[in-house]
Amino acid sequence: MTTEQAETVQQVENVEATKTDNNHELIHEHTLYAEPIGHIGGLAITNSLLMSWLALIIIFVLAVKVGAKIKLIPGKIQSAAEMIIEGLMSVFDGVTGSRAKTVKFAPFIFTFFFFILFNNWLGLLPGVGSIGQVIEAHGEKIFVPYLRGGTADYNTTLALAIIGIVASHIFGVIAIGAWKHFNKFINIQAILDIPRKIKKDWTVIMVNPIKFFIGIIELISEFAKIASLSLRLFGNVFAGEVLLASISAMLAFVVPIPFMFLEIFVGLVQAFIFSVLILVYISLNTTAEEH
Amino acid sequence: MQTLIETFHLDWKLLIAQLINFSLVFGVLYFFVFKNLFKTIGERNTKIEKGLKDAEVAVLKLEEAAQEKEAIIIAARKEANEIMKQAKELAEKKKAETVVAAKLEIGKVITEEKERMRQEKAVVLEEIRQESVDLIMSVAEKIIATKLDDNHDQEIIKKMIKQ
Repeated sequence: MTTEQAETVQQVENVEATKTDNNHELIHEHTLYAEPIGHIGGLAITNSLLMSWLALIIIFVLAVKVGAKIKLIPGKIQSAAEMIIEGLMSVFDGVTGSRAKTVKFAPFIFTFFFFILFNNWLGLLPGVGSIGQVIEAHGEKIFVPYLRGGTADYNTTLALAIIGIVASHIFGVIAIGAWKHFNKFINIQAILDIPRKIKKDWTVIMVNPIKFFIGIIELISEFAKIASLSLRLFGNVFAGEVLLASISAMLAFVVPIPFMFLEIFVGLVQAFIFSVLILVYISLNTTAEEH
Repeated sequence: MQTLIETFHLDWKLLIAQLINFSLVFGVLYFFVFKNLFKTIGERNTKIEKGLKDAEVAVLKLEEAAQEKEAIIIAARKEANEIMKQAKELAEKKKAETVVAAKLEIGKVITEEKERMRQEKAVVLEEIRQESVDLIMSVAEKIIATKLDDNHDQEIIKKMIKQ
């Protein structure tokens, strides 16, 4: 936070029709991006990053508390937690095809699930997006909330998508080897196979170049995966926040409640979809191409 | 690309920050929860499987024990019957033997008694005979009053007796 900004800071709650003293209308709109509320070194601390840290702290506390209580004979809380995890694991089994593979990837996938889930849900808390500061920029007073849903920032969802896709490639290289994995995208092997196989089957001269181009398409689709994963999550969460804000602006009592439940559900579903898709990509990349 | 960056305010520093956040969440969840949880679930599954197997074995053993018990009872009953039968047979035999022995003993006693009586009778008869001879001799002596030598006397007496 710069010093001149700091001087103009003032906290406000419910900013809908707040007017400043000099009668300038306060701008309070949902931006597509997370606004910075301070700086540490060169890093702009955005309200979304702050929320992610909050989610991190909550997950940390819960993990330590739950982790310390894990027993061979489970209590009520552990039983419930195990039931949820077991339920998700059986869904994952359907994707990976084996329990051993699921157990191997589960901690990674559950990290996506819980991190996204907490970020989505924390964004729905009262005060998020409505408690903030007023910053004067370009002669206008702009309201900047202190907190914004972690996943309502494209930086977060993009980072998560990149982690997921990069990890799926790392797992792929570990599982089937670097050369085989590389040939899934830039299929040099198919081109090299042409002189060797052409005597047996002349169609390779047509099929293998097609395979090579399919590989290139696969390569492009990897970037498409990143875009679709990150934009889907960001879009849903951001749209949810805008929806809730709009409904609240129309009528702040009772009416937003069904939408609140809808957003709780959307938050859960999006976390689930994101993590299952990452698992699907990992399973695809850890399976050797069948000939 | 530039538009994308401007629209969403993409910032590689924020990307890195979120990457670190994710790594921290992964580390925390892995070391505090999942490592422990999967280990515990695995251990529990092993124990449950072992328990179920043990229960099956226990049921089998129980059945075996029941069968064994039944077999032992049947064998014991059979043996008891055998012993009873043998005892009865032995008793019958002993009884028969005793009867035979008793009969023999009685027979022997009777025979011995008869012999004794016969001998006693003979002795008595001899005594009576001797007594009679002496009596007759003294009577004859008195009657005849004549002295005859002993040999002569004896001859006469014997003749008399025979008559």
